[in-house]
Amino acid sequence: MVDTNAAVKPKQILTSGVKPIWCPGCGDFGVQAGINKALSDLGIPKENAVIVSGIGCSSSMPHPFATYGVHSLHGRLLPVAAGVKLANDDLTVIGAGGDGDGYGIGVGHLVHNARRNVDLTYIVMNNEIYGLTTGQASPTSLFGMKTKSTPFGSIENPENPVGLALASGATYVARAFSGDPMHMAEMIKGAILHKGFSLIDVFSPCVTFNNLNTFDWFRKRVYKLDSVGHDATSISAALERSLEAEKTNWEKVPIGLFYKVEKPHYAQLDMTLKKGSLLKQPMPTKDQVGEILEEYK
Amino acid sequence: MTSVALRIAGAHGDGVESSGALVIKVAARNGLHVVAYRGYGSIIRGGHCWYQVRMGDSEMNSYGDGIDILIALNQESIENQKSHLNDKAVVIYDPSKIKVDTLDASKYRLTPIPLLDIAITASGDPIMRNTVALGAAIRFLGIDISAFAEVLKGQFGRKGESVVNQNVKAATEGYNYQGVQTIYSLRGDGKHRYSLDGNTALSIGAYAAGCKFYSAYPMTPASSILHWFAAHEDKGVMPKQVEDELAAINMAIGASVAGVRSMCGTSGGGFSLMVEGLGLAGMIETPLVVVESQRSGPSTGVPTKTEQGDILFVMHASQGEFPRIVVAPRSIKESFKVAADAFNLADRYQVPVIIMMDLYLSEHVETLDSLDTESVHIDRGKVVTENTDGGRFKRYLITDDGVSPRSIPGSKGLEFVAGSDEHTEFGDLVTDAHAGLDWAIEVRKNMHSKRMRKIETMLKNESVFVPEVLNDGADYFLVTFGSTTGPALDAINLLKAGGKNFGLISFSYLMPLDKEKTKKLLEGRKLINVEVNYTGQLAQVIRMNTGIEITQSILKYDGEAFTAEEIARQALALVSK
Ligand SMILES: Cc1ncc(C[n+]2csc(CCOP(=O)(O)OP(=O)(O)O)c2C)c(N)n1
Ligand code: SF4
Ligand SMILES: [Mg+2]
Repeated sequence: MVDTNAAVKPKQILTSGVKPIWCPGCGDFGVQAGINKALSDLGIPKENAVIVSGIGCSSSMPHPFATYGVHSLHGRLLPVAAGVKLANDDLTVIGAGGDGDGYGIGVGHLVHNARRNVDLTYIVMNNEIYGLTTGQASPTSLFGMKTKSTPFGSIENPENPVGLALASGATYVARAFSGDPMHMAEMIKGAILHKGFSLIDVFSPCVTFNNLNTFDWFRKRVYKLDSVGHDATSISAALERSLEAEKTNWEKVPIGLFYKVEKPHYAQLDMTLKKGSLLKQPMPTKDQVGEILEEYK
Repeated sequence: MTSVALRIAGAHGDGVESSGALVIKVAARNGLHVVAYRGYGSIIRGGHCWYQVRMGDSEMNSYGDGIDILIALNQESIENQKSHLNDKAVVIYDPSKIKVDTLDASKYRLTPIPLLDIAITASGDPIMRNTVALGAAIRFLGIDISAFAEVLKGQFGRKGESVVNQNVKAATEGYNYQGVQTIYSLRGDGKHRYSLDGNTALSIGAYAAGCKFYSAYPMTPASSILHWFAAHEDKGVMPKQVEDELAAINMAIGASVAGVRSMCGTSGGGFSLMVEGLGLAGMIETPLVVVESQRSGPSTGVPTKTEQGDILFVMHASQGEFPRIVVAPRSIKESFKVAADAFNLADRYQVPVIIMMDLYLSEHVETLDSLDTESVHIDRGKVVTENTDGGRFKRYLITDDGVSPRSIPGSKGLEFVAGSDEHTEFGDLVTDAHAGLDWAIEVRKNMHSKRMRKIETMLKNESVFVPEVLNDGADYFLVTFGSTTGPALDAINLLKAGGKNFGLISFSYLMPLDKEKTKKLLEGRKLINVEVNYTGQLAQVIRMNTGIEITQSILKYDGEAFTAEEIARQALALVSK
């Protein structure tokens, strides 16, 4: 366990005063600190930030923040977040949820919002377990892992979320570790600044229900992509790196920026949004309605 | 009233639909009234389909029972349609393709025309055989060929003068073919009418109300709403085809949280996937309009056929209790009004509003003199833009009327979290860590009753939550909701002509209902519910709300909408027992 909050000294504190509900030592505290630092370093006014979550321990993320938030349904944070963003492009929209939420029940939305390149920052607190429902296997639980729902060891292979996001067309893909919130804050800042769909897969240990993938377990295995001269402009290099954990039997696990590419994002291509934020576009006049009606004469 | 029903029947790919559309245009522009309905089994090329266009010199509310003029484009059309032919019906067909020996020549006016030959001579294009047949039909109807030529010009003008001329030539040949003569004389009043289907009227209503975001996953019979928004994207609306209905509803909720009037739409199958999202909108009190256009169920059912089988499902969809409004427009005209009003109701009470269409209402076409665009006004309800007391914003403030002030992201000092878990006035969770603590129990109780109180408030403030009674002093009353109201209206006129005094009690708003008023309106009357489902769902709703049990019903679940004649016949049988 590390006191992750103490490690981060943000310029602006964005807390609502609501205490997070996490167990002491939960990795999600580090993620809270990372988001807080990223938002405050970038000077994003709290009224212009919306944190959208699903359901799970990690999905209570919006509450400690003084920003706007939607704590939505299990697996549905991405459509809600995309709806907010498409309605008002002036907002900074951050999705924050769990691995079960985003890689399990809601995985379809990940694929589609990535390929749509909606300008969202999506942070998945990946603890390789279902925390809130007290410790069942998640889509990223390792093969053989014993959980409440797999007491004899999981016989399913873990999903590769970084590879999936890359293959789906995400234009910013990174990984971070809750044990290094400063690095995570940099990844989040990069994602917020990036215009397009960003996924940050964050190892955020569950100290209560996952005694395999602990802070120490990750600390021994993670290394930074920066340190090996990874070329984050190359999709093939990124895909290759996304397979490394699996290939090394989780001995070497890269964190950092896998891939970043500039491509037009959804609002830049959409006929209506090109004219400005949907929210700001005027209501139709009676004449405009009448004109449309004439089509049917 | 004089009315004539023209039916064009053939195979998918024969141009049945475009031919029907042409006839509707001719009639609508020549002062006639039209009710038209397209019957199709599948959308696969070659499948049997038909388009019935009923034209009359005054307003009608149903597409007519029998056929007065049939244009049969293939053999199958003769076999499939012969049971629908009225006595003396005109049957137009091409003798080189079609045999009519199964039809009794003394009963019908068989009119063989070498459609294909004429088409090829006139234009070289076999598809113009439809135009030849339509030209003949126009003559039978007593409409002048020039009126048809005018519509052809409008329709094909873009393709150049020669295409227009070929069409006019083909039509004229049909018009002048030997044996073709005027037998009906439909006299229009000279008015130029609009012709549109229910989904179009609904879409225009939503547009007029300022709905700028529409998300959907394609599903018959709701898809044409998506197509409408897509075709009008240059008018400042955003159509969004998404990966599934889960995304459709949740994206619309997100857009609504951000302050944009939003709608999503589907049929019953897709609505099944939307159910959890509906509860989210209820819980976080986000205004939302959902369209559910019903088709024959259960499961995939009969995708191209109609039914009114989803109302109980929709009224009770999603776990727990929350206020919602369920409304089934009774006509195309009302589809516009209901859609325009739905956004105000959703905003005023911060609830989901579900508009129940059905395949028949969504897809059939009627002429209208006007749509009530003048009365459309926009009321966004309790939206606040400023923090007046400096404290933390109470988005879910407990109020007497149950409605709390709502802020839109971007407004300073009004930040809050909209949470699907039970929450405090600020939006903070009372679950997980706190559930069961005395204060949290209190919060839950107060917050739940605050939300539910909105039902009383809407019943007090709005006048729409009661049925409408027509012909108050009648001996018997048909009881309908939604699209069945149209044919029932025509049925009571038929019954009147037959000496029976029937009234009509019709529901558009189904939930909530003003129980007392509804009960008063129904009590002491002889009631017959008429519905397109097996179990009489409206009768169940009525009993649930008023305790009144309707013991006689006319039900249908074969995939087709009621015709007026059918209702009248069955009603007569019931009261003559
Ligand atoms: C539709 C639906 N199914 C199941 C649940 C129960 N549920 C709540 S959270 C959760 C899994 C949480 O796991 P994850 O998303 O990884 O979040 P964590 O708690 O680990 O942060 C489940 C299955 C639910 N809320 N909704
Ligand atoms: S159960 Fe696990 S994921 Fe949930 S709060 Fe506790 S430590 Fe965190
Ligand atoms: Mg998890």
